[in-house]
Amino acid sequence: MSTKLDDNLRAVFAGIADFLIPEALGMPSASQVDVHGELADRILGLRPDLREDFMRGLKAAEGKSSEEAAQELNKSDPAALTAIGLVASAGYYMTSKVRELIGYKGQESRPEADPDATPEYVANGMLQQVIDRGAIFKPTPR
Amino acid sequence: MPSVKKSPKVADVLIIGAGASGSIAAKHLAENGFDVVCLEQGGKVDNSEFWGDKPEWELMSQKRWHPNPNVRDLENDYPVDTSESDVNPLMYNAVGGSTILFAAHWQRFMPSDFRVKTLDGVADDWPITYEDLLPFYEEVDIEMGVSGLGGDPAYPPGKDFPLPPLPIGKIGMKAAEGMNKLGWHWWPGPNAIPSKPYDGRNQCVRRGACLTGCPDRAKASMDHTHWPKALAAGATLITGARVREITVNDEGLASGAIYIDRNGREREQKANVVIMCANGIGTPRLLLLSNTGRDSGGLANSTGLVGKNLMMHPYAAVSGKFDEPLESWLGPAGQTIHSMQWYETDASRGFVRGAKWNVMPSGGPLGMRAAYGGKALEDSWGENLHRNTKKVFGRSFEWGIIAEDLPDETNTVTIDPSLTDSDGIPAPKLTYKNSENTERLIDFHLEKAQEAMAAAGAIETSATRLMRDCGWHLMGTARMGNDPKTSVVNQYGQSHDVPNLYIYDGSVFVTSSGFNPTGTITAIALRSVKNLIANRRNQKVAA
Ligand SMILES: Cc1cc2nc3c(=O)[nH]c(=O)nc-3n(C[C@H](O)[C@H](O)[C@H](O)COP(=O)(O)OP(=O)(O)OC[C@H]3O[C@@H](n4cnc5c(N)ncnc54)[C@H](O)[C@@H]3O)c2cc1C
Ligand code: SF4
Repeated sequence: MSTKLDDNLRAVFAGIADFLIPEALGMPSASQVDVHGELADRILGLRPDLREDFMRGLKAAEGKSSEEAAQELNKSDPAALTAIGLVASAGYYMTSKVRELIGYKGQESRPEADPDATPEYVANGMLQQVIDRGAIFKPTPR
Repeated sequence: MPSVKKSPKVADVLIIGAGASGSIAAKHLAENGFDVVCLEQGGKVDNSEFWGDKPEWELMSQKRWHPNPNVRDLENDYPVDTSESDVNPLMYNAVGGSTILFAAHWQRFMPSDFRVKTLDGVADDWPITYEDLLPFYEEVDIEMGVSGLGGDPAYPPGKDFPLPPLPIGKIGMKAAEGMNKLGWHWWPGPNAIPSKPYDGRNQCVRRGACLTGCPDRAKASMDHTHWPKALAAGATLITGARVREITVNDEGLASGAIYIDRNGREREQKANVVIMCANGIGTPRLLLLSNTGRDSGGLANSTGLVGKNLMMHPYAAVSGKFDEPLESWLGPAGQTIHSMQWYETDASRGFVRGAKWNVMPSGGPLGMRAAYGGKALEDSWGENLHRNTKKVFGRSFEWGIIAEDLPDETNTVTIDPSLTDSDGIPAPKLTYKNSENTERLIDFHLEKAQEAMAAAGAIETSATRLMRDCGWHLMGTARMGNDPKTSVVNQYGQSHDVPNLYIYDGSVFVTSSGFNPTGTITAIALRSVKNLIANRRNQKVAA
């Protein structure tokens, strides 16, 4: 099976991706952030295990409306739809535009400025309540 | 056929596996003048290989850095037949072993864990007590650089941790508020993650990617904490060395191991003493394959207990959604707080033993979408995708429940009749079913964790009864004990059958406790290796 993502299949992917991730609730659609462009190639390069299911799904979808194709794949070949959905959503949430909109900078570096500072739960007495309830373990029987 | 090449060197001690237990052994033996060789099937991992600091993180977590070796399917992994197991085993095979991917929750057992027969009338007591292990727990805390707060009323008093506790974040505070409303125990969780720069490692930057490898060289994985010291003290580490068999001499003593290198050549490493540190699956696999091959009872197995009593800690969870942003992707991951409110046995509950709970961050937006194939598309895609992301992402966390599973001889590691690894070595097969005690325990704990979530102010909760990919903790398959008829090794990990063969990994656990085991695996390994060093003159060795 050819594994090349030609323009035609790229358009099929963009269509299904937009059905799965539409423009709505203030969020852009998948194709508006170009998930079907270089991002898709990058993801398939990093995850070659997805390629076969992904391509099989797109080929089966050719000539159908995006919604019809997605619904059919979901019933007849869920692995293919899973791969298409994963490439679409992984690409989508990797883009800086989408990350900004959902308030996510990625797994960010935010070291504690003063690791020796008294923690809030100690300063405000929250932990003292636990201490006041006393030991909760059974000692080693003698 | 590749020929067996004999290495000229006879090591004082040969260690199989460079994970948590093997690293402790290698460092201490080398520093005490032993000529140590360690055979490790994997290679060395570089922190720059991890994706936690890159946008592709979640994508790569689902395959290349997945904790299930059957999903990862790398050459340094061996496959595991799980067709008859309720739980998938998780591990990593490289220098550092599974600590490369571990979450670094650094727990001790509670005193009752060593006395379940006496206290609860089930399983067996350990040949050691909490008090026997306490000095080693404290020493290992320093070697690892554990961050935590002393004084937890779930434990007898002891020394403070070497580093102050890590921040518990908004999710930890939320969960703690709920626990205080109910009057339930919680405490900032101890983690083998440095809250300040420590022993050559960096301060944790709260990246929250610990489970896929720490890109910031903070987390205490053994490749950083122990191997540099072991190598500096003269230990030899041979990577890409997949052990096929422990060899035995005419007297029945262990004489070394045969391994296959990455060029496909069979090699032999001779040794006076052999220590198995290949984890609760890798060790019984090798013992069962040694001595007389696939169809025999294997090595050190006069009891027939090698491979039996597998325990893997079924993991249940309650997830809560909140109507405020909690930045729930922030680390450490790592635990923020833990609870032992329901840890000790209360017979009126209809089951014995209990579970430790922990709060952890919930990761990025993609993880929420990991499994959707076959469901109605509208549920998780279309407008609902955006709606769910806005509702849940950054606003949810989980109370995880580590259920103590009791030893059961029908839960086993055996040799698969047909499956092999990439070197043609027979692969292990797991047979593992949850017991009725475990089922009841999980039901009870899920109900209580839902109460805890509600008290914390969750607007929605959902429960996961058993996560299949939860076999992080591999224990019990070569248990310790005083009686050679009912145990494989003694309290120092020495085989009752083969006096120069030792086991230091989680296989030696008598019971599983409800705690993440590595604090205890390493404390036991340290106690065992110190005993071996102290008694070096009395050690029987292969000639
Ligand atoms: C995702 C994940 C999260 C975890 N989180 C926690 C946690 O938060 N807290 C906690 O306490 N524990 C945690 N654990 C468990 C912890 O990692 C293990 O308990 C610990 O690493 C076990 O130590 P070990 O020495 O028994 O084996 P390992 O660390 O698994 O090391 C065994 C080594 O032996 C090697 N080996 C096996 N067979 C062979 C062979 N035939 N030839 C050569 N080499 C071989 C392997 O390659 C491996 O490197 C986690 C584990 C995972 C996978
Ligand atoms: S939370 Fe800390 S230990 Fe974990 S990956 Fe991030 S920096 Fe490393």
